[in-house]
Amino acid sequence: MKLLGIGLAASLAAALAAAPASPVLAQQKTTIGVSLPQDDNPFYIAMKRAIGERAKELGWDVIYVSSQEDKAKQINGVQDMIARGVKGVLISPIDATGVNAAYDAAAAAKIPIISIARASTSPNQTLHVAMDEKQIGRDIANWTLKAIGGKGKVAMLTGPAGSPTFKNVQDGFLEVAGGKPGVTVVFSQAGALTRERGLKQAEDALVANPDLAAIYAANDDVALGAAQAVAAAGKKGKVVVTGMNGVPPGLRGVKDGALGMTVEINPVLWGRLGVDVLAGYLKGEKYKQQVYIKHELIDAKNVDAHLPKK
Amino acid sequence: MKREALIGQIPLVTLVVLGAVIALSTDHFLTPLNLTNVLVQAAVMTVLAMGMTFVILGGGFDLSVGSVVALAGCVAAAVMMKAGILAGVLAGIGTGAVIGIVNGFVVTVLKVNPFITTLGMMVMVRGIVYLFTGGEQVPVDGGLPDAFLAFGVERFLGVHYFVWVPILLLLILSWVLARTPYGRSVYATGGNREAAYLSGIRVDRVIASTYVWCGALAGLAGVMLAARLQSGQPTSGEFYELTAIAAVVLGGAALQGGEGKLYKTVIGVFIMVVLGNGLNLLNVDSYWQRVAIGFVIIAAAAVDQLRHRRR
Repeated sequence: MKLLGIGLAASLAAALAAAPASPVLAQQKTTIGVSLPQDDNPFYIAMKRAIGERAKELGWDVIYVSSQEDKAKQINGVQDMIARGVKGVLISPIDATGVNAAYDAAAAAKIPIISIARASTSPNQTLHVAMDEKQIGRDIANWTLKAIGGKGKVAMLTGPAGSPTFKNVQDGFLEVAGGKPGVTVVFSQAGALTRERGLKQAEDALVANPDLAAIYAANDDVALGAAQAVAAAGKKGKVVVTGMNGVPPGLRGVKDGALGMTVEINPVLWGRLGVDVLAGYLKGEKYKQQVYIKHELIDAKNVDAHLPKK
Repeated sequence: MKREALIGQIPLVTLVVLGAVIALSTDHFLTPLNLTNVLVQAAVMTVLAMGMTFVILGGGFDLSVGSVVALAGCVAAAVMMKAGILAGVLAGIGTGAVIGIVNGFVVTVLKVNPFITTLGMMVMVRGIVYLFTGGEQVPVDGGLPDAFLAFGVERFLGVHYFVWVPILLLLILSWVLARTPYGRSVYATGGNREAAYLSGIRVDRVIASTYVWCGALAGLAGVMLAARLQSGQPTSGEFYELTAIAAVVLGGAALQGGEGKLYKTVIGVFIMVVLGNGLNLLNVDSYWQRVAIGFVIIAAAAVDQLRHRRR
């Protein structure tokens, strides 16, 4: 099946290559390729939709290839889409080095490959539409310190091992909170980005540290799990829980007081920015190596304006 | 004979020693709050591992339960929003049972190896979960019925409702396995299939039935997890099948079938949960936690081998 697909793609590519000067083809729609690490995560689902919508507004077609956190699958997918003649690739690489072959393939085909959200160390990465991870971590830390009155015990439920994004946010957090006298990180565990894991680790963290002041969670799902543990221990409002991503369940958590704060990194705006940057690049505009999407801290004060409309 | 009895109690001894070591290392372990946490953390896995015990007793294997947990939780949550709590719970359990029937059919009628059958089912069911949910939690906006959520939080006689489920199941299912002709036919089939067949047991039916038990209990575990997570989560239950199998092995059941006890499986679950809880309380690095848990699983299997060689 796969061989057949590659065969078809190859013959299609050959057909395209054979007729580059044809005016009919030149007027055909621009097609871009998109590859995201997961297709079961609300964040990437929203980003994928936004990319599709923005591309449609520009009159573009999108080829989307699923990768399900499987590096080989992501590389194959990108190679397939390049074979199908895409004009550019928007990719969120599974990790920083594992899918560099995909970048090499794009470079060999002389088309731009732009990283979105996650980044690659590949020299062939055209540019990175990123969030300012370290700054987000610092902002979370500053908010947390203010919320707990500048001192207290903090538990950190950090992101999955080997993910540079979560590591950077965590580093930014520690850069600000780590050096503060009176602030101690008493619990720090990596793990999956699931509610289940947030719940279980927070339960254990609260038992080991009854006087915990704050829980830093890698993302909203983990934070919502942690918030459940806080509520079950009868400490809602006494232990501050922070998340990240600003997905709708996270925003509702801020609204009802389960979460103290989340960082909204809007996947819709992010996806649209990615397409726009790719469009600009194809037109010959110049960009820096990193284009930042803006982030916003959402707490009880401003959450109402951000809640999804019913 | 004496040595046999002693070796039979290795799981319990392991659990007690483990608990003692952790209790000596941290004052927080034996607090009422932590002990109830441990009970609640173990509840879902206990239900799942009891189902796995049925399959393994019958000489089979089921890798699909983790995916079933996710699907059943999401189906239960979706049905519940439309037709009420009872319908939701039954739909969740029913989903698991149906998948169990399919597993049983493929293994006994199509004669496909249980490992392959349930591996395929694991992947397929996970795909169905994502198709069914679009990858998002169910319901997307939260808001499961309060009475259902209370089941994950409220208590009866000082113990969470949540924990009563595995306690009752343990009593009932232990009785089924030990005291009914059906239960004895499960042991007989797993122990020596040929002999069981010759003595008039319809072995295919018995084997198929163990997958139905396993599926239905995985469905129930999914419903319970949905109550605990206050939503159906499509990503939930990953690697649960491995933890469940590990728990059964830790409880001293023979992977070849025909030998094992439900209460020992429960001890196996508690070894896993107490180990994870204790390492968290001590804030042991999560990478080391994986090393420790993997080591314990292999050690248990090694003990199991030793016991069989002695005989």
